[in-house]
Amino acid sequence: MPKIGMRAWIILFFVIVSIGGLILMNNVFQIKHDKIHDALENMELSEQFREIRLFSKEDSLKAEAMMRDFNATKAVVNVALGDSRLVTSVLLFCIIIVSSIILVVVIWRISKPLRELKHATEQIRQGNFSVHLPETGLPEMRELKNSFNVMSRELETIQTRLLVAEKEMIWKDLSRILAHEIKNPLTPIQLVIQRLEERLESNPEKVPDLLPESISIISQEIDNLRLLAQDFSNYAKVNQPNTEAVNPALSIREIVKSYSQDYQINLDLADDLQVKFDKTHFYQVVTNILQNAIDASELGGKIDIRLYGERSYVVLCIKDYGSGIESKDIPRIFEPYFSKKSKGTGLGLALVKKLCDANAVILRVKSKPNEGSEFTLIMEGYHA
Amino acid sequence: MFEALSSKILAGVVSLSMLLFSSFEGNDPSLSAINHSTSSGYLYLSGQLHSAFENDFAPIFASGVPIPIYYNLNLKKGSRMVMQKRFLHVVTFDPVTGVYEVSKEGEPEVFYTDSVEQVIRKLSSYRFKIPYQSSWGIVKVRIEAALTKVRFPDMDQEMDLMILWKLKKPSAQTQIDLRELK
Repeated sequence: MPKIGMRAWIILFFVIVSIGGLILMNNVFQIKHDKIHDALENMELSEQFREIRLFSKEDSLKAEAMMRDFNATKAVVNVALGDSRLVTSVLLFCIIIVSSIILVVVIWRISKPLRELKHATEQIRQGNFSVHLPETGLPEMRELKNSFNVMSRELETIQTRLLVAEKEMIWKDLSRILAHEIKNPLTPIQLVIQRLEERLESNPEKVPDLLPESISIISQEIDNLRLLAQDFSNYAKVNQPNTEAVNPALSIREIVKSYSQDYQINLDLADDLQVKFDKTHFYQVVTNILQNAIDASELGGKIDIRLYGERSYVVLCIKDYGSGIESKDIPRIFEPYFSKKSKGTGLGLALVKKLCDANAVILRVKSKPNEGSEFTLIMEGYHA
Repeated sequence: MFEALSSKILAGVVSLSMLLFSSFEGNDPSLSAINHSTSSGYLYLSGQLHSAFENDFAPIFASGVPIPIYYNLNLKKGSRMVMQKRFLHVVTFDPVTGVYEVSKEGEPEVFYTDSVEQVIRKLSSYRFKIPYQSSWGIVKVRIEAALTKVRFPDMDQEMDLMILWKLKKPSAQTQIDLRELK
C-alpha cells in the first residue's frame, strides 16, 4: 500500500462513511422486511373459509375465488419480499466491491505523481540529471512537475559546465606539474652539456676528465625522469585487487632492507599474522608510506614500524619523527599532485589512498609539524 | 462452460452477500450422490434433493398455481452429449378442498395429501428411468434441479422462484460404466 496523503484520506473517509450508511440502511430495511414476512406467515384464511357453510353455488364460487386470490397474493408477496432482500444485499455487496476497487485505483492514481517525483528525486540524488517527468495530471501537479523539470535541466547544464571546467583544471594542473617535473631534471642535463661544450672549445684534451661526472649526472636525471613516468603510470593503472593471504611482516622486512643502512628503522612485527591484500598493492602502499617517512626525516633519522593483531584485524603503524605535516594540509595529502616537498609528483600518497580503498583497508594519519607523522593501516586479517 | 462458470460466480456472490448483509433465510438446496441400477434394459437413477423447500415454500405451494420443479439430466460420453432429458415434478393445491397434488414425471401414480410436510418429503426424492446402450461405455451423468418463473394469472404477476433457492441450482454428477451393467 503506497503512502497516502490528505486528499486520499478524505476520499477514504467519504467512502467508509458512505458504505457504513448503506450498511446501516440495509439493516433497517432487512428488519422491516422480517416484520412483514412474520406478519405474512401468520395470515391464514383457507381453514376458516373452508369451515364456513355456504348455502349457494354462487357463494361457494366467490369464496373459492377469494381463497385463490388470497393465497396467490400471499405467495407473490412472499417471493417479492425474498427477491427484494436478495437483490438489496447483492447490490450492497457489489457497491462495496466496486467502491473498494475505485478507491484503490484513485489512491493509486493520486499517489502516482508523488511516486514519480520521489523516484526522479532519487535519480537526481544519484547524479542522473537527465531525468524528466511527463507534465500530466492535475494542474498543481503539472506545475510541480514543470518546476522539477526546469530544475533538473538547470542542474544538468551546471553539471556539464562543471565537468568541462573540472577537466580543464585537471589538464592545466597536470600540464603545470608535468612541465615542472620534466624541467627539473632537464636543467642539470642542460648545464652539464653546456659545461662540456665550453670545455670542448677552451680545452678539448681535458674533456675526458669531466665525462664520468657528467655521465653520472645525466644518468641520474634520466632515472628521475623514468621514476616520474613510473609514478604517473602506477597511479593511472590501479587494477582490481587480486586479494590473497599476505604475510605483512615478511614483506615489510624485505622492503625495509634497502633503507636500513641510512636510517634507524625499528621493527616491532608480529610474524604470525596474515592479511587479505593484493601482494603488489601491499608493496606499493608500504614503500610509498616509508618513502614519505624517509623524505620527511633527516639522514639517519628514526622510523618505527609496528605490526600487531587486534581482534580480526591487523594494524600496521609507520611512524617517523621528521618535519610532520601542518594540520591544514592533512585533509589534502591524499589528493593527487598535492605535495609540499621540493621533489616529487604528489602522487605517492594519492596512490596509497587509492590502493587502500581498492583493498578495503582503513588508512589513518596523525601528524604534528616538527614532531613527525604516523600512518596507520587497519587491514582485515586472513584466517585460513 | 462459460455459463456454468458464470452461474457459479453468481451463486457465490449471492451466498456471500446473503451471509453478510441479509436476514433472508431462503433455502440452500443440494442434491445427494446419484444412485444407479438397471432393469429390463433401462437405467434407473435416483437420489435426494435436500433443504430445498423447508423455508418460504408453503405459501407458494398453497397459492393454487401449479409449481413446477425441473430436473435436467445429461449423459455425456467424453465431450459428446448422448442423452439430454428434462423431468418435471409439479405441485398443485386446491384451496377449496385443501389437498395438494404431486405428480412426478416417470412415476405413474399421482400423490395426494393435505400435509405440506408430506409434499416436501415427496418432492425431495427423484427416480428417473432412461433407456441406454452399453456401447456408450463410460458416461458422465449430471443431474441439475431448477425452478422456473411462475405466472400468477389472477394477479398478472410473474415471479422467479429461483429467488427462494438464492439463484443456486443444485447439481450432482457421477460416472457410470454402462458396459459393466447387466
